[in-house]
Amino acid sequence: MVDAQRDVPVKSALVEALVVMKIVKHCSASFPTTATGSIVGMDNNGVLEVTNSFPFPTVEVANTDSHSHSNNQQNDASSLAAAAPRSKANITYQNEMIKHLKEVNVDANNVGWYTSATMGNFINLSFIENQYHYQKDNDKTVALVHDVSRSSQGALSLRAFKLSNDFMAAYKEGKFTTEILQKSKLTFRDIVVEVPLVVHNSHLLTSFLHQIPAPPDNAEIPLPASLDDIRRDPAKIPAHPSFDALDLSIDPFLEKTCDLLLESIESHYTDLNNHQYYQRQLTREQFKITQWQTKRKAENAARVAAKQTPLPEDEWQRLFKLPQEPSRLEGMLNARQVEQYSKQVDGFTANITAKMFAVRGNLLPE
Amino acid sequence: MAVDQEHFVHLARPLAPSALGFSASTAPLTVNIQPQAVFSIIDHAVRRDIRDTQSTRVIGALVGVRSEDGSEVEVRQCFAIPHTENEDQVEVDVEYQKNMLALTLKASPRETLLGWYTTSHELNSFSALIQNFFASPETGTFPHPAVHLTISTEAGRAIETKTYISAPVAVNAERAAESCLFIEVPHKLNFTDAERAALGGVAAASETETRTAPIASDIEGLAQAFETVSDLLERVSGFVGEVLDEERDGNHALGQYLMNALSLAPKVANIAIEHDFNNHIQDVLMVSYLANTIRTQIDLAQRLATAPLVAGEKEGGDKKDGEEGGKHEGRGGGRGGKRGGRGGGRGGNQNREPREPRENGE
Repeated sequence: MVDAQRDVPVKSALVEALVVMKIVKHCSASFPTTATGSIVGMDNNGVLEVTNSFPFPTVEVANTDSHSHSNNQQNDASSLAAAAPRSKANITYQNEMIKHLKEVNVDANNVGWYTSATMGNFINLSFIENQYHYQKDNDKTVALVHDVSRSSQGALSLRAFKLSNDFMAAYKEGKFTTEILQKSKLTFRDIVVEVPLVVHNSHLLTSFLHQIPAPPDNAEIPLPASLDDIRRDPAKIPAHPSFDALDLSIDPFLEKTCDLLLESIESHYTDLNNHQYYQRQLTREQFKITQWQTKRKAENAARVAAKQTPLPEDEWQRLFKLPQEPSRLEGMLNARQVEQYSKQVDGFTANITAKMFAVRGNLLPE
Repeated sequence: MAVDQEHFVHLARPLAPSALGFSASTAPLTVNIQPQAVFSIIDHAVRRDIRDTQSTRVIGALVGVRSEDGSEVEVRQCFAIPHTENEDQVEVDVEYQKNMLALTLKASPRETLLGWYTTSHELNSFSALIQNFFASPETGTFPHPAVHLTISTEAGRAIETKTYISAPVAVNAERAAESCLFIEVPHKLNFTDAERAALGGVAAASETETRTAPIASDIEGLAQAFETVSDLLERVSGFVGEVLDEERDGNHALGQYLMNALSLAPKVANIAIEHDFNNHIQDVLMVSYLANTIRTQIDLAQRLATAPLVAGEKEGGDKKDGEEGGKHEGRGGGRGGKRGGRGGGRGGNQNREPREPRENGE
């Protein structure tokens, strides 16, 4: 059974319009705090149909202050929300909710979770842990990421991700040392896999969508009598294609991405420093061991010369402790994040140059 | 963007028995409905279980926020309630409603129960019964009136929505529970800016045969928007052309409107435009170049950190040295990134220069 399921990996995600609306609503309502929730649906031969969603309860920061003193990082509402999918209370909540949804004929299988992001800054340990939490039990789960800042430019940004199988195996081991990474050939590009995402509408919804904005009753519209007539009854612009994409305010987005990139470089340096510290520590310890070994050898030689039994030479394993190698995971995630940012910048650049040439073409007729 | 459904005479709300100390307001009530609530109802209607009930409608509860004076309500979400209905009785799962409401409110504590919806326009004694349940003090919205939303989901017809509130009315005391006076109140569908983008994506799917559409990338969206805008401009210039050719009568209001729009074009010297344009595009290209340089550097650092080092295979000490070397290189790479970045700025200029003649040539 399990093997049969694994034969068909998730190839794409089919997301109902209802889920899109619900996620967008929840994420933009709680912006800039991170919002998370659960999605339900079912797997249909490699196409993951996401048919409904519900938000996780927001945790009041004041309530949790008492037991978050020990861990100051948890104080922030955002990080609380980011950790929500794997907290115990929410797992109970999720099961309860799914049980209730089942009674009204909603697909009652959990197929993952969703989260909000700002300018693509979602690749971090918390994201990985959440997705691992879901994917370890059920391979057919995805994480939907809605980028609130990018959606505000006009084009909806909703993407689906899952962890790669190689990474799942590596994460299960929990060891990300240089040697293991060398052996498994796991690179930062193999951490998350993007699943193509498709929006789907029901027939009834399609008919509803064709009503808004309502088409004019007559093909021939009566001409307005005065300027006020036009102002009073502005043209109803169709939702698609969205003209928000033509907005010319581009610099804030680039600026924000640059800030985020700088942050990434900062954490890259921290990571690097950690490793250098580890290397120094290792050298020092190993130097001490070598010293000890030479000393012991000399001692033994003296003892042999004096016809005494030599002392054991492997005692250093007890006496010295080699430092633990810091995990490479942070660095890998950071690298993946940087890759994401730079791709995003490429996307912006493509957009912006097109817009700028359009503006110039308009202002400077040839 | 708000979609007004229709115009009709707006009556004052009916007088309802009020709690002590609470003066019932007779001000008109306005209902705003957010699209995801409607989407949710439509989804529920599609998933209707037709096996063990004769009813052709489904019911559910409306959840949202109410303005302080109670004169305006906003339906933000809703959930389905299982119910069975036949000729002489109706059963609503009250326990389910209670639990589900508690669960929903846990996730969005600022919202309250507002009323209920059903998917047919028919108002009968069952409707009254359910309405009284939702308006009652113990289980409902009292002292605020419960909102009843009906939405027709018959295949092949336009989807219509109507909203009502109610007043108690009965021919005698025994029948009070199953009678009430429904009064229609105006409502509108409200789309916030955040939902516009989502609606765009969803609307794209509604225009294809398969009812599915992938989410367009930014650049595709931009291309589509450009196409549509140029189509619209074409139409306007077609209209203006026809008027000029005296094929159709001109319209003062439209002319005035177009003049106003055209006068919005900024008056800037050509040189200044060219200058600003070049400056800005260089900035943008440089940011892009830098971002990619950083990406390459970090990629390189990662590679070096985990690269199998030939010298390192033999012994711990050697390996460590080799790695240290790798580390240093990685860091050097980081610095090089900055230097490369500055160089990149210049590189960007150089890249651009050969392009310029071509642009001028166009």
